[in-house]
Amino acid sequence: MTQGHRRWGLPATVRTTLVALPLIVFAIAGVLAPVLAPADPTANDLAAGLLPPSADHLLGTDQLGRDQLSRILYGARISLAVTAAVLAISLAAGVVIGTVAGYLGGRVDRVISRLIDMAVSLPGMLVALAVIGVRGPGVENLVIALSLWAWAPYARIARARVAGLRGSPHLDALRLLGAGPVRVIGRHLLPPALAPCLVYASTDVGAIVLSVATLSFLGLGIPPPHAEWGQMLIEGRPYLASAWWLAYPPGIAITAVVFAGNLLGERLAGGDERPSILRWVRPARRPRHSIAPRPAPAGSPATSAAPAASAEDDVVLRVRDLSAGYPHGGGLRRVVAGVSYEVRRGRVLAIVGETGSGKTTSALAPFGLVDPGAVVTGSATLGGGAGALELMGRTPPERHRVNGRRVGVVFQDSLAALNPLRTVGAHVDEAVRNAGRGGRRAATRRVSEELLRLAGLPDPAVIAREFPHQLSGGMRQRVQIAIALAGEPELLVADEPTSALDVTVQAQLLDLLGRLRDELAMAMVVVSHDVAVISRLADSVAVMYAGRIVETGPLATVIGNPDHPYTRGLLDAVPRPGAAPGTRFRTMPGRSGAGPDDTGGCAFAPRCPIAVAACADDRPVLEAASTVAHRSACLRHPGGTALQPGTARERDRL
Amino acid sequence: MRAPGRLRFAGRYVTRWAVDTAGVLLALSAGTFALVLLARGDPAAILAATRAGRSATPEQIEAVRAELGLDAPAPVRYVRWLADASTGDFGLSLRTNTPVGPEIADRMGVTLGLVAGSAAVALVAGVAVGVAGAVLGRGPVRGALRGGALLATSVPAFWLSYLLVLVLALRLGLVPTSGMAGPATWVMPMAVLGLPAAGALSRVVAVTLREALDQPYVLAAQARGSGPVSIVLRDGLPNAAGPILSLAGVTVGSLLVGTVVVEQIFGWPGLGAYFVHAAAARDVPALQAAALALGGGFILANRLADVLQALIDPRSLRDAGGTGPRAAGRGRRPSRRGGTGPREEAT
Repeated sequence: MTQGHRRWGLPATVRTTLVALPLIVFAIAGVLAPVLAPADPTANDLAAGLLPPSADHLLGTDQLGRDQLSRILYGARISLAVTAAVLAISLAAGVVIGTVAGYLGGRVDRVISRLIDMAVSLPGMLVALAVIGVRGPGVENLVIALSLWAWAPYARIARARVAGLRGSPHLDALRLLGAGPVRVIGRHLLPPALAPCLVYASTDVGAIVLSVATLSFLGLGIPPPHAEWGQMLIEGRPYLASAWWLAYPPGIAITAVVFAGNLLGERLAGGDERPSILRWVRPARRPRHSIAPRPAPAGSPATSAAPAASAEDDVVLRVRDLSAGYPHGGGLRRVVAGVSYEVRRGRVLAIVGETGSGKTTSALAPFGLVDPGAVVTGSATLGGGAGALELMGRTPPERHRVNGRRVGVVFQDSLAALNPLRTVGAHVDEAVRNAGRGGRRAATRRVSEELLRLAGLPDPAVIAREFPHQLSGGMRQRVQIAIALAGEPELLVADEPTSALDVTVQAQLLDLLGRLRDELAMAMVVVSHDVAVISRLADSVAVMYAGRIVETGPLATVIGNPDHPYTRGLLDAVPRPGAAPGTRFRTMPGRSGAGPDDTGGCAFAPRCPIAVAACADDRPVLEAASTVAHRSACLRHPGGTALQPGTARERDRL
Repeated sequence: MRAPGRLRFAGRYVTRWAVDTAGVLLALSAGTFALVLLARGDPAAILAATRAGRSATPEQIEAVRAELGLDAPAPVRYVRWLADASTGDFGLSLRTNTPVGPEIADRMGVTLGLVAGSAAVALVAGVAVGVAGAVLGRGPVRGALRGGALLATSVPAFWLSYLLVLVLALRLGLVPTSGMAGPATWVMPMAVLGLPAAGALSRVVAVTLREALDQPYVLAAQARGSGPVSIVLRDGLPNAAGPILSLAGVTVGSLLVGTVVVEQIFGWPGLGAYFVHAAAARDVPALQAAALALGGGFILANRLADVLQALIDPRSLRDAGGTGPRAAGRGRRPSRRGGTGPREEAT
C-alpha cells in the first residue's frame, strides 16, 4: 500500500492478514459473544439507563439500561452471521447457476446470461428494500432479500470460467471415458469456478455488512430486541447529543468492518502502485558514488564519444558520462552507463544498437523524457558559448522552457505518441502555443498549417482536422515532425523515426529529415537499429551495446572500417548491394539484453568471435582506433592497426 | 464531435442502445409488478381497511378487489398495470387511499435536486482527489488521500449524518438538523450522499488517470513542452474518461438509491423517503411506483454513461456505424476520398 507497509518489510500474506484484522476480531468476538459479553444484551434495567462508561459498563448503557459492550458484541454476531448466510446462499446459487450455464452453452446459456446481466444491473439496495417491503422485516426475509441480488456476480464469474474450460480436450477425454454431466460438473468444473468466486466474496463482505446495517437502521432489517449495530444507532438517536457512547461505538464498529472488507477487496484485486510519467517534484539527485554499483573503470573520462578537446560554439548538445538506472532491490540497476556524445549544428549523430541497448534512454534522458523512477546522472549541456544550459537536475517548469522550444522530439510509435482523442491540428496548435508562437486561435492554426506543410503534408488544413487514427503511419510521423519543429529548435531528437514504415515511405522521411537539417541548420540525434537508415542520414555514429558506447566516429570510418567486433557483426547482418553473389550475410550468435553492470569485463565477450580470456575481466574503454575521431572500446582493436592477417582469418570464422 | 454528420452517424448505435434499454426497463417493470405476487397479506383487504378506518367487512373487501381488478390472472393484470403506469397512473396508496402517481411526481423534483447537488459534490471532490492520487508520488499525502477515500466509501451514510448533525448542527450550530428549507439545509444531505460517492470515484479516477498518463502521448506532450496541468486536462482526463464516465453513471444511480437513507434521516419529502414509508407500511402500489421510478433512474443513469462513453471517443464510432464520419462529410468536402481507412501517403 503506502510507504509504511513497505518499510515494515512484512510479507504480503502477513500484510493482508493485518488488513483483515478488524474482520477477524469481530468474527471471533461474534462467535464468542455469549462468553465474552459481560451482560445479557437484552436485559433492561431502567434504573441504570444512559450511564456513561464505567468499570461496570465499559461502554456505558443505553436508554433502557442495557450494557452497550454486550450489545456491540452480539451485534457482531448477528451482522456477521447474516453476512455469512447471504454469502453462502448467493455463492452456492451463483456458482451452480453460472457453471450450468457455462457448461450447457447454447440457448440456456444465453437466457441465463441475460438474466445475470439484468440482475447485476439492478440496484441491490432497492431490490432488498422492495422485497422486505412486501414480505415484512425479519432475519429470514433479510437474508432472502440480500441474496436475491448478491448471487448474480458469482454466476457471472463462474459462467465465464466454465465457458473457458468447456472446450478443453481434458473434458472431452473425460466424456469419452464415460463421465456423466453431473460428474463432469461436480468434480471438474465446480472447483475451478469456485476459486475466483471466493476471492470476489471477500470483496463483497463490506458491501453486505453495510447493507444489513442500513436496512436495520431503516427499521427494515433485523428487528428488535436483537442487538444490531445499525439498529442500535436508530434506537439511541434521541440521546445521541447527550450520550456520546451511544453515537460512536456502533458506527465505529460498522466502519471498521466495512473498511477492512473494502481494503481487503482492494488488496486482493491487486491495485498497482506505479507512479505516473508525470513528475511534479524535482527529481532526487543522488551523489555520484552511490550510483555506481561497481567502481568505474579508471579511464572513465576517456569513454567519451568525441574528442574531448573542443569547446566550440557550434556544439548543440554535449552529453558527458550519462548514466541512467532504476532502483532495484535496494541498489540501482543501470541501463545506460557512462555514455558521452556530442552533436554540432547542422550535423546528425546516429545512435545505433539493438533493442535494449539503452540507445533511446541515452538520447531522451537529457531532456527528462524517461520514466520518473529512473535515476539519471552525468551532465548534458545544450548549446555552446554564452547560451549553454546544463540540462541535468532541471525542474519540470524549467524543462518546459527547453522541451518544445530548443529541442523537438519525434517518437517511434506515431500512433501511440499522439493523443487519440484530439485532432492532429490540436496537437500542433498546442506545440505552437507552448513555443510562444501562438496567438488567437486562427493565427495559431495558420502557423500549424505552415508547419504541417513544412513537414511535407499536402492539404494541411484538411489534415489538421483529422484524428491520428485516420492517417497513415508515414503521415503521422510527418505530423510528429511538424510538432517537433514548432519551437524552431536547435536540436531534433528522433527515436526510430522510420521503423514500422514501408521502405519507400522510409526513404521519403529520411529525405525530409535531411532536407530539414540543411534548411534549418538543426542538429539531430537519430536513434535507430537500422544501419541502412543511419548510412543515409548520419554524419557520425555511436554504436551502443549493453548500455555503453562501444564504438564511435565519423560515419564513413565506422561503416567502412569498423573496429569493434560488435559493429562488424551489425554491419555483416545487413545485406548490401555489391557483395559477391552467393555471399551470405551473417547473423550474430548469442543473445542480447545484458545490462552495463552485468559483467566486470566486456559485455560483448560472450558473443564475441575474437574474445580472449582478458575480455571477461577487463572492461575496455573507448580509445582511438584508426583515427583520433574514431574510437572503439575493444581490448583487441582488430581493425585499429590496419588489418592484421590473423584478424582477417578470425573474421572469416564468424 | 463537431460535425453534424458525426451525430447522424451515431444514430444507429443510439438506436440499438435505446432498444436494449427499453428491454431492461421492461424487465424491471415485470420484476416490480411481481412484488404484488410476493406480498404477504391481501392488498384488497388492506385498502378496504384503510378506507373503512377499521377492519373491513368481506363485502367491502370484495368491492375493492373488483375495483382493482385483482381477480384477473397475473399476466393480464401486469399488462393493465403497465398500461396505466405508462400514463402515470399507479393506482391508490393502500396507506392513504390517494393516487400514487401525483405523489411520485411531486417528490421526484426533491430527489432529483438532491441527487444533482450530491453528484456535483461527488464529481468535484472525487476528480480532484483522484487527480491528486494519480500525479502525486508515493508519500504521506497520497496515502492520506487514498485512505480517506476508502474510509469515505466505508462509513455508513446514516452514521456519517449523525456525526455531521452532532458537529455541524448541535455543537457549532451552523446548519439546521433536518428539513428542507434554505440553502443551509442542503449542506448535510449533499455531503452525506456525495462524499462516499466521491471516495469511490476518486479511486477509479486515480487508477485510470495514472494509466492514461503512462501512455507515450504523455511523454510526447512533455517533449513538446506542455505543462502538467495541460497534460492532465487535455491528454490524461479525456483518455481516462471511459471508465470514469461509466462509474459516474453508476454513481448517479447509487446516489438515487442512497436518497432512501438520506431523505429519511433529514426528513426530506422525496422519493427515497416515500419508498421507505411504503416499504414499512407494505403499501404495494406505492412501493411499485417508487421502485419503478428509482430503479428506472438507476438503470438509465448507468446506460446513459455507456452511450456517452461511446460518443466521446472518435475511434469507437467508426466501428459502431460502419462507414465512418467521412461518409457524412463527403458531400461537403469533395476533395476527400471519403474512405474510412488511413489515407495513403501522398508525397
